Amino acid sequence: MGYGDEGFTIYDLLLWAEGLGITLWIFILSTVIGLVLGVLIGLVRYYHITILGKLLMIVSESLKNSPVIVQLFLVYFGIPALLQIDMTPNMAAVITLSGNTAAFVAVIVISSIESIDRRQLEAARSFALPKLVILRHIIFPQSLSIAMPMLVSLAINQLQVTSLVSVIGVIDLTRVGDIVNQRTFEPFIVWPLIGLTYFILAKLIAIVGMRLERKFSAYRLVGEL
Amino acid sequence: MLDLASITEYVPAFLDGFIITAEVSILSILGSFILGILIALMRVSSNRFLNYTSLVYVDLFRNIPFIVLIFFGYYGLPEIGVYMDAFWTGCLVLSIAVGAYVGETIRAGILSVEKGILEAARSFGFSKFQIYAKIILPIALTISVRPLGSVFINLILTTSILSSITLNELTGVSKVIASTTFRPFEVYVFLVIFYGLLTFMISALISLWHRHLNRYLGEEAS
Amino acid sequence: MIEIKKLHKNFGDLQVLKGVDLTLKPGEVVSILGGSGSGKSTMIRCINGLEGITSGSIFVDGFDVSNKKELLEVRKKCSTVFQQFDLYPHLSVLENITLAPVYVLSSSKKDAEAIALDLLDSVGLADKKDVFPAQLSGGQKQRVGICRALAMRPDYLLLDEVTSSLDPEMTAEVLDILKKLAREGITMISVTHEIEFAREISDRIVFLDQGRILSDLPKDEFFAGDGGLADPRIARFLSKMGEFNGQA
Repeated sequence: MGYGDEGFTIYDLLLWAEGLGITLWIFILSTVIGLVLGVLIGLVRYYHITILGKLLMIVSESLKNSPVIVQLFLVYFGIPALLQIDMTPNMAAVITLSGNTAAFVAVIVISSIESIDRRQLEAARSFALPKLVILRHIIFPQSLSIAMPMLVSLAINQLQVTSLVSVIGVIDLTRVGDIVNQRTFEPFIVWPLIGLTYFILAKLIAIVGMRLERKFSAYRLVGEL
Repeated sequence: MLDLASITEYVPAFLDGFIITAEVSILSILGSFILGILIALMRVSSNRFLNYTSLVYVDLFRNIPFIVLIFFGYYGLPEIGVYMDAFWTGCLVLSIAVGAYVGETIRAGILSVEKGILEAARSFGFSKFQIYAKIILPIALTISVRPLGSVFINLILTTSILSSITLNELTGVSKVIASTTFRPFEVYVFLVIFYGLLTFMISALISLWHRHLNRYLGEEAS
Repeated sequence: MIEIKKLHKNFGDLQVLKGVDLTLKPGEVVSILGGSGSGKSTMIRCINGLEGITSGSIFVDGFDVSNKKELLEVRKKCSTVFQQFDLYPHLSVLENITLAPVYVLSSSKKDAEAIALDLLDSVGLADKKDVFPAQLSGGQKQRVGICRALAMRPDYLLLDEVTSSLDPEMTAEVLDILKKLAREGITMISVTHEIEFAREISDRIVFLDQGRILSDLPKDEFFAGDGGLADPRIARFLSKMGEFNGQA
């Protein structure tokens, strides 16, 4: 097929490794930032800090209910045009995915705190335990255990979402697939390999997630023995 | 801000995009629904081959990003002699991918049908097919209206990815509008709000429908 | 001393407590009897500030419950044992007991654990110190609940229907411990429907009916035919509970 038909080279492997690195980097960075932000947003909403809570709710609802691809365009093309600043594709990717993750984490945080039995919080208060101690020693460990399965499936989902950053020019795993595919015209080799890479990454997250789930829910599982 | 005249100039293009989004969504919802029922039935079947095949199907399509699948379909299908445009490729790949999620959702619904109901049905001498067609699936689907609703809302949001294989649906036309007006911020904020309202309205309708279908279950369903 | 004066408590339009006056001296054991809806649990929840009061006042050793800062002192002085145990499910038995001493009384972890182990030993649960609450029976949970309350070295122990979630056998094992505590001279307010238990441990019995105190008498007078029992409402309640206890 003429010029494009060059076959695979060793550089394709390097390119793959580089794309994998970028994908992982964006995934880890945005997950960590998203977790921290999401927990903060969740707490602000749980403790009913009114105006801030409402504002955050509107933002996080829009993030959950619009396509990530549009959010990426908004951050990469829209914000630099509005504020007259420079933005690299990688920056836009991390900002967008962190915000998106945070929106989902916030919902998980609130629902898991609310599913803790209210009466033991009363018991804790009746013993004069300070708010922060209750938060750290009673609310946090239990909601973490309840939230863990939801957080793991969120993480697996967000790994897939990272593939969208390819549309704003981040050279991630998907973009590498696109580049190699355009050059070699071998979609039946390129895309299954790229797909397999994502599949394996997802399985790794699931395995780590299952360990964490077990670790944090020991107290709930013993009762069923 | 854009002045009014220049906004109206882009309304027809935006509507065209909306219509394409709507068409792709409706076709793929139908496609994924049919596939999903098949997958769900295979998942709960006692036939080991069907069971395993459907398990692999679900595992694969839930763990590979949609954009990878759509590129594979868009560039791969012509290689094996199947020529489809971006629209139909989109419908096909969306149906296949979302079918995995629909299958798992319906499977959960099937598993939550009480055993007693099945035994009662069996005791009346219904055939296996009749039990599934008349009893299990109707109950499972009724229970699953709300979770299926969120799967389909996700499908609608996912159609935006088809803009990357040159389909001019909502996101695709907005990209063009953003670059011709040099107003990307306003255009994309509007688009975020538009998708948000769209999904909000759909999920409100689904909630109503769910409550209506499950009204005989009393409080716990709503 | 716990001093409750003209205590009113409303939930919306519903008046649950309609002017309750009650004084509890150190060393006293008082049981509060009354039918369901008489407001007895609400009263005990008001003492440690779990319910805000609508009007009136509650002072514990001079500390005002409705004052946010003083409430903290009140809570250090009063420990509650709850009807549903309400242990922290994610903490071991030992951690359940030591949490408040460590973070409220600033005890060292070592001291708190030593005290907790002593308490667990005294209720016969020393071997359960490392298990989670889910692994205990109801009676065992409530014994841990009692240890958790006692670990705070409270001046007052508030018991909120501590046996009503337990079957008779487990009820007995919990009541035995409480009887021992009463003999040791701890100050207690106990909301209960266990008449026999009330008769055995109490110095005084207070009968609540529809949010008001109907009688507040020394134990012997309460159960005497010309004392509390002279009131038909009390007699009816006691005979009903007697039947109930008999059946159970």
